[in-house]
Amino acid sequence: MRIVLQELKKILNWKIGLLLVLANAILYFLLISYHIEHFPNGRPALDSYRIGIEMVEKYGVSMSEGEKADFKETYEQRLKDADEYIQSRVDFSSVGIHSYQDFQDINYENQEQAELRNKVVFEENVDLFWELQERERLIEFQNENDIIMANEMERGSSQQVATLEEIKATGNYYIYPELVFYNYKDFIVNVAIAIIVSVVLLLSPVFIRDRSLRLVDLQYTTRVGRNIFKRKMIAGLLAMFMVITALLAIYFSIYSLNNTGMFFSSPINSFIGGFHWYDITFFQYIVLTVLAIYFLGFVFALLAMIFSNLMPNFVALVGIQIPFIIAMIGPGISYLIYQITALDLSQWLVPSGYVLIIVIGSMFMLFVWRRERTLDIVH
Amino acid sequence: MLVVNNVSKNYGDFTALKNINLEFGSGVYGLLAPNGAGKTTLIKMLVTLISPSKGEILYNGTDITSLDEEYREVLGFLPQQFGYYKHYSPKSYLMYLAALKGIEKKVAQEKITELLDKVALSDVANKKMRKFSGGMIQRVGIAQALLNDPKIVILDEPTAGLDPKERARFRQLLTELSRDRLIIISTHIVSDIESIANEMVMIKNQELLYKDSVENICNTLDGAVYETTITNDELASFRANHVLLSEKQEQSKMLVRFVHKGESKEDWTVKNPHLEDVFLYEYRDDLSLGV
Ligand SMILES: Nc1ncnc2c1ncn2[C@@H]1O[C@H](COP(=O)(O)OP(=O)(O)OP(=O)(O)O)[C@@H](O)[C@H]1O
Ligand SMILES: [Mg+2]
Repeated sequence: MRIVLQELKKILNWKIGLLLVLANAILYFLLISYHIEHFPNGRPALDSYRIGIEMVEKYGVSMSEGEKADFKETYEQRLKDADEYIQSRVDFSSVGIHSYQDFQDINYENQEQAELRNKVVFEENVDLFWELQERERLIEFQNENDIIMANEMERGSSQQVATLEEIKATGNYYIYPELVFYNYKDFIVNVAIAIIVSVVLLLSPVFIRDRSLRLVDLQYTTRVGRNIFKRKMIAGLLAMFMVITALLAIYFSIYSLNNTGMFFSSPINSFIGGFHWYDITFFQYIVLTVLAIYFLGFVFALLAMIFSNLMPNFVALVGIQIPFIIAMIGPGISYLIYQITALDLSQWLVPSGYVLIIVIGSMFMLFVWRRERTLDIVH
Repeated sequence: MLVVNNVSKNYGDFTALKNINLEFGSGVYGLLAPNGAGKTTLIKMLVTLISPSKGEILYNGTDITSLDEEYREVLGFLPQQFGYYKHYSPKSYLMYLAALKGIEKKVAQEKITELLDKVALSDVANKKMRKFSGGMIQRVGIAQALLNDPKIVILDEPTAGLDPKERARFRQLLTELSRDRLIIISTHIVSDIESIANEMVMIKNQELLYKDSVENICNTLDGAVYETTITNDELASFRANHVLLSEKQEQSKMLVRFVHKGESKEDWTVKNPHLEDVFLYEYRDDLSLGV
């Protein structure tokens, strides 16, 4: 234990701390900040967000037929408001627009009408028009979600159809605005990338540093001997766990600025935009992605330490890590995080993906340890 | 105590050591050979950093690899080249290694104070090693080898980088230590070792040349070491015919020390052979002394 702590102290030094702060600052501005600072991103995203909150507050996390009717009723009400608004403005009547219906049926060839529409919508940003547009989109999905379901079932495998049947039975799908859910997915994928890069930076020196400093001769001839390899590995995994936890804490406190807590109890299938294998809430989905990040962190920690052990020098280490990480993150992360529950993929694909990388990583690590146990330390 | 049994070591196609047989009891052993003779190779095998290509090394009758930590527990080792963390002080560095050696914190603290005093580093015990001279680092290295009160102490060129005063103190330290212990010291500097070693081990052409007391090794050249004075002009032809050990300018003449087996001339004086003489004589080809 004392040795593990010593090794842990060596890994978590202030230079690495500084490096991680720097790397995460860069990655935050490149990848993550967009999903925080531009949420909701303009119109009608803002309206979608507002209506979503209203729906959850008014109807809860699923909508009965009565509640759907109420939602339409609200729309009709807002429509009337729009009519009144239009009638209250002379610039509308002067170009021949007397109702919201007229407004929607605007003839774009009529320059006066088109100009007025642009002015009201994009310059004055009249909330009502944006809101109505979003409500129309939502009602359209609510009206047509059974058609979407039927189409999906037609394409699906028997397993997918079985799950779709269950979702269909709840009636709660393609109902709620998807903005918050997709924003989270974009956010967490990029957080995962930042965390993977951090783990690799953190653990790449574990073996190569002592080797290049020529400490190995001393370490391997002490009582603990070559078993220090295992202690270093454990220290590396502990450090990984600590750094991931700290980074997640930071990134999630930043994420809290998006103010999406009211959707935490919504089932992920209730959002527009796709079906999922698992009947879980948005919050459970968040927990799932967090667990996934720990698993990815574990695998990349193993790989970083394996390369740290095998590569002859820092240049070779960097040379192999960069293309390797890009190759892994590129296509891999989309499946392993972004589409972690996606019904479009076979159900076994993502879990077996995780099992595969964990098994490969562990076996590779075992191989490296066995090699190290009898390796001639020559330099 | 420690037995090297028919050990060979190859690096790929290159044979570094061939059929080495050695037996070490307690006492100080000097491993004396010129650069590249295989001293470090032998030592690395003795400390389990590399394994013999052939043969075995036994400690009290058991193979050292299978003894594992039981063997390393009684081992103190100073590598020819070793590393340290520049931002560590000698104290924190030794604490780190004490943990690896499985020494309790309290015990380690006392031992470290004692050892730093012995190697005259008490003043800088808490200073970062970044600015230490080579000799200071080397003394930290010597201290770490002794942390666990080892029964077997193996030092690979321990006097490298030490000044004459430090060398003297080092010899003193070894003499203190040598009771009930096996100490093996490799060097290519004869004077470091000849006064303190009970026995010398010499390697030549990858094989064991001598393992014997200094006296016995010197006796191999008994009656064959001479000194004489010659003129500077004679030097070239003298070199061609004799194995020269040393030459010293004395006024306009040259005092030469050399080995000659067979009939001697009358103006030659027989000298007592020193270890240095044997070293220079045996390794005359490796050392390119110009025979
Ligand atoms: N890893 C290696 N691969 C190939 N050859 C090696 C390796 N290590 C050592 N050698 C060779 O083996 C021979 C013995 O080397 P070794 O380091 O044991 O000598 P040494 O007596 O310790 O020399 P020095 O006094 O310079 O330390 C040398 O010729 C060296 O070049
Ligand atoms: Mg050597």
